[in-house]
Amino acid sequence: MTHDGASVLTNHPVVSHEEWLAARTAFLAREKEFTRLRDQVSEERRRLPWEAVTKAYVFEGPSGKRTLAELFEGRSQLVVYHAMFDPRTASPSTSWTKDAACHACSFWADNFNGIIVHLNHRDVTLVVVSRAPHAALAAYQKRMGWTFTWVSSGDTDFNRDYQVSFTAEEVAKKRAYYNYTMQDPSLSEREGVSVFYKDPAGRVFHTYSAYARGIDLLNATYNYLDLAPKGRDEGGRGLDWVRRHDEYDR
Amino acid sequence: MTKHMTGTRKQWLAARRELLEAEKELTRRGDELAQRRQELPWVRIDKEYRFETDEGSASLADLFRGRSQLLVYHFMFGPDYTAGCPSCSAIADGFNGSVVHLANHDVTLAAVSRAPIAKLRAFKRRMGWSFPWASSLGSDFNYDFQAAYTEEQQRSGVADYNFRPQGFGPSLEAGKEGPVGELAAMVGTDSATYTREAPGMSAFALEDGVVYHTYSAYARGLDGLWGMYQWLDRAPKGRNETGIWWRRHDEYDKG
Repeated sequence: MTHDGASVLTNHPVVSHEEWLAARTAFLAREKEFTRLRDQVSEERRRLPWEAVTKAYVFEGPSGKRTLAELFEGRSQLVVYHAMFDPRTASPSTSWTKDAACHACSFWADNFNGIIVHLNHRDVTLVVVSRAPHAALAAYQKRMGWTFTWVSSGDTDFNRDYQVSFTAEEVAKKRAYYNYTMQDPSLSEREGVSVFYKDPAGRVFHTYSAYARGIDLLNATYNYLDLAPKGRDEGGRGLDWVRRHDEYDR
Repeated sequence: MTKHMTGTRKQWLAARRELLEAEKELTRRGDELAQRRQELPWVRIDKEYRFETDEGSASLADLFRGRSQLLVYHFMFGPDYTAGCPSCSAIADGFNGSVVHLANHDVTLAAVSRAPIAKLRAFKRRMGWSFPWASSLGSDFNYDFQAAYTEEQQRSGVADYNFRPQGFGPSLEAGKEGPVGELAAMVGTDSATYTREAPGMSAFALEDGVVYHTYSAYARGLDGLWGMYQWLDRAPKGRNETGIWWRRHDEYDKG
């Protein structure tokens, strides 16, 4: 093991290019099968029924109060990344601090910050929502150099309704509904993605939410690591190796 | 009014939980595939490839920058292109943010293209990227890893891409009409010049000073690396595309 928990490569089978090609081509068939399966799951996902959003959620953003419908910014599809950040509950055991969002969510944000411009041109608006007050979001965002829209859901029901915030009692009793099952939420904030659609009449529908490993593939770095010789190489300790991008050298 | 099926919270949840099982199965299949990928044999590389980088001339081993794993994104930017390929540019908009994390997990992610280093440097500055980008101009590197083709290969009409023979014919004859012609125009070349480069990624390991080729992927094998697609796959309209809709990130407003 090295300092970052990385394993060491040794004694891997080494063959001629011809033998490599035979193994690689056989493996390609399995990869194609996986690509087809992923396409099929995406297709099934789009066939899910939608539920109407009837509650009037209001968020605090860079230009004041914004309703959920306004977060669409004129597009018909809205993707919300639920970033874990609530200064009131920050402690040494939370992944966020009083002035910085969760390091793992920050890792995800580094991966989507640059592609939002492309999603915008496919009728998708991607925003980040956290419970922290907008001033805290703005300060941390400036530090990280991100340009996406980040709004505060504060004490509204939004985070609880979309199952990414839990009460102190739920955390203490280690029992809450997360990722569609009762489980120990571990923390008062958890990661997730929720998707909404706004029809031409202005009605908003909740189409999809995903949590935990359901958002793995949305982090491009994991897609890259999956192709590297050592793979994710996390030694069973998950995101232990991840830091905020300006904290690796500390 | 929407024509999509809507339901109560309870109905929505029942359908969502059913999909969750399919998603979990996909995650497990992905993990299993990644495990098998790591078990693929490696090939020792004895050829001396030379690259030009921001720090000067470099060998393939130098591109690892002290780490034991190297991922090369074969960025389509031929010597005659006036700018990098728009598709590769959209992919780079995503991985530009991944590089710092990979670098702290024993992986160097670098782009390699055949255009001269000065061209790569100027385009990188224009796009605001910070990842390492090396020029393989004059080396066999891109050709050996199925990321570039000679005029002779083009004339023969067929060459290996994605581990099988592929025809050049249709894309060249498509002229200015089809997607190839559109992309060629966006890099300031004709279709033949544009298709002398191809997209892909290759992975290498460095052990005791010896470089091994561990893996390469092409075509839809790069799907997962193109961050925007993973997000579009969760959107109600999906990928929602009929042709080349993407542009370089500073060119969307130019129509």
